[in-house]
Amino acid sequence: MDFMYLYLPVALTSINILVPVGLGLAVGLLSGLFGVGGGFLMTPLLIMFGIPSTVAAATDSNQIVAASTSGTYAHWKVGNVDFKMGLYLLIGGFIGGLFGVQAIKILKATGNADFVIKMTYVIMLGVVGTYMFIESLNSMKKSKNQSQESVVRSQESGMTKFLKSLPFQTHFEKSGVTHSTLLPIIFGGFVGVLAAIMGVGGGFLMVPVMVYILRMPMHVVVGTSLFQILFNCIEVTFLQAYTNHNVDFILAVLLLLGSTVGAQVGAVFGRKLKGEQLKIILAVIVLVVTAEIVLELTLTPSLLIAQGGGH
Amino acid sequence: MKKVRSRKSEVRSLTNILVMTLLFLFGLTLSATKASADLTIKANHDHIKVDFFYHGSSVSVAGDADSGTDLIIKIASPDGHEVLKQKGKVGGLLWMNTGTLNFEQTPDLYSIHSTKKIEDILGPEETDKYVIGYPALSRHIRISPALGEEEKEKWFGEFVKYKESSNLYTASSGKIMTTVKDGKQTYYIMTQWPYQAPPGDYLVTVYAVKDKQVIEKAETNVSVEQVGTIKALAGMAKNRAALYGVISIIAALAAGFGVGLIFRKGGGAH
Repeated sequence: MDFMYLYLPVALTSINILVPVGLGLAVGLLSGLFGVGGGFLMTPLLIMFGIPSTVAAATDSNQIVAASTSGTYAHWKVGNVDFKMGLYLLIGGFIGGLFGVQAIKILKATGNADFVIKMTYVIMLGVVGTYMFIESLNSMKKSKNQSQESVVRSQESGMTKFLKSLPFQTHFEKSGVTHSTLLPIIFGGFVGVLAAIMGVGGGFLMVPVMVYILRMPMHVVVGTSLFQILFNCIEVTFLQAYTNHNVDFILAVLLLLGSTVGAQVGAVFGRKLKGEQLKIILAVIVLVVTAEIVLELTLTPSLLIAQGGGH
Repeated sequence: MKKVRSRKSEVRSLTNILVMTLLFLFGLTLSATKASADLTIKANHDHIKVDFFYHGSSVSVAGDADSGTDLIIKIASPDGHEVLKQKGKVGGLLWMNTGTLNFEQTPDLYSIHSTKKIEDILGPEETDKYVIGYPALSRHIRISPALGEEEKEKWFGEFVKYKESSNLYTASSGKIMTTVKDGKQTYYIMTQWPYQAPPGDYLVTVYAVKDKQVIEKAETNVSVEQVGTIKALAGMAKNRAALYGVISIIAALAAGFGVGLIFRKGGGAH
């Protein structure tokens, strides 16, 4: 069955074409459904199939460019991309990324970068997953029990008041919300710092920020998140190709064959689900990934030696 | 005059002895060359081309040897160095990267095959001299930061496990097939060339072993080279990185839009 294998010129290894196409399809589906890049799933899976860790991360960002273009396009067609919000988040994310890279340098100098990175990752995933899970479970219950809604409204008003008091208020038409422009820039920056430290795209953090802090409707969140992931990944792909020579074009093409189609299917399927349903499924996936990472950290690895680079 | 003559004859006889000795030594050398010509080696694929559909290769190594000798075949790349992360337990609970190890004088590919177990047919001095077998390799490799004997053994073991997991290190005994005919021995082994072995030149050496000593060796080369599109892409990724990055991004954007358009046409409006 050698004809099923293709040689990858940068990864310097050979892979069964069904593996990247299948992985692309699955991760693209999640991307179109939830507005995440899926790097937290794809990179470790590629490493498992023998791709060097540095090439896996870099090539994944190239592939995400295709999947998020496909996904953004699908969501834009039905008016679910808030370009204005996406732009402010991007500005924040870009500034945050610069700080994050500096933070990594400082961490590496202190010598326990790996510990801090891993713990940040596990804690962020765990907290975000748990919060989303509980919140979406509650809101699913609430939608059945309308009487509780007034309580939620009064709880919200405190935070809303504070947010309204911030300068540079502007209306985001697509999302139907009014915020200070500082808000998406600051939180975009916050996600940017963490994403740079953890070496991931940060979609799984950006989605909750948009849902819970910016109060955007879930379907617009997915489209807008994909839009800003697209631009982040274009930047990362270029830097990875230019400075590290780690992007494998053939592997990226195999992955995007699956992921671009997956993203379309995900976008179509997502429209049939309610916001709460989407949130709770994403929460479960994030929690499963958290559990998997915790297991990986506690079980004795089969190899005590690994390539440098990657997390 | 007499004295002169006798001196002349002395010189003549000395010259004769010298010539005789030289001839004798020359004869010896000739016979030695003849003996080493008995050991031959040939690899059936000495030029492996890496194209799109490359998935490793089968390389057979064969040749003639003196009967009564044991054989060891070593396939190795030139010594290089590798920087690897070591994992350890942090706080007695979590496995993490705890440091970096530099492995110096390490071949990227190291494959050793012998007719019998190496320790049974070759003395330790000889194995170390020719770097034959994992124990000899462990003494050849330098690991930094410097480790104690026990630690070095542990991390060398882990290094071999790591290399074996990607088929770059292999060791076998008893897999070389030999036949003896008319006092001459021929040998043959089929090896799987791993696709993980990067492009480069590899040295294949056969050692004829007798009385725990290497008595002869013969060498041949196997080169692995990327060709066609694979070569062009790998070269571009390295030498024209900016253009390569831009093309990768444009291809991804085009694919994303393309699939989006196909779905709009095929899937109708949702």
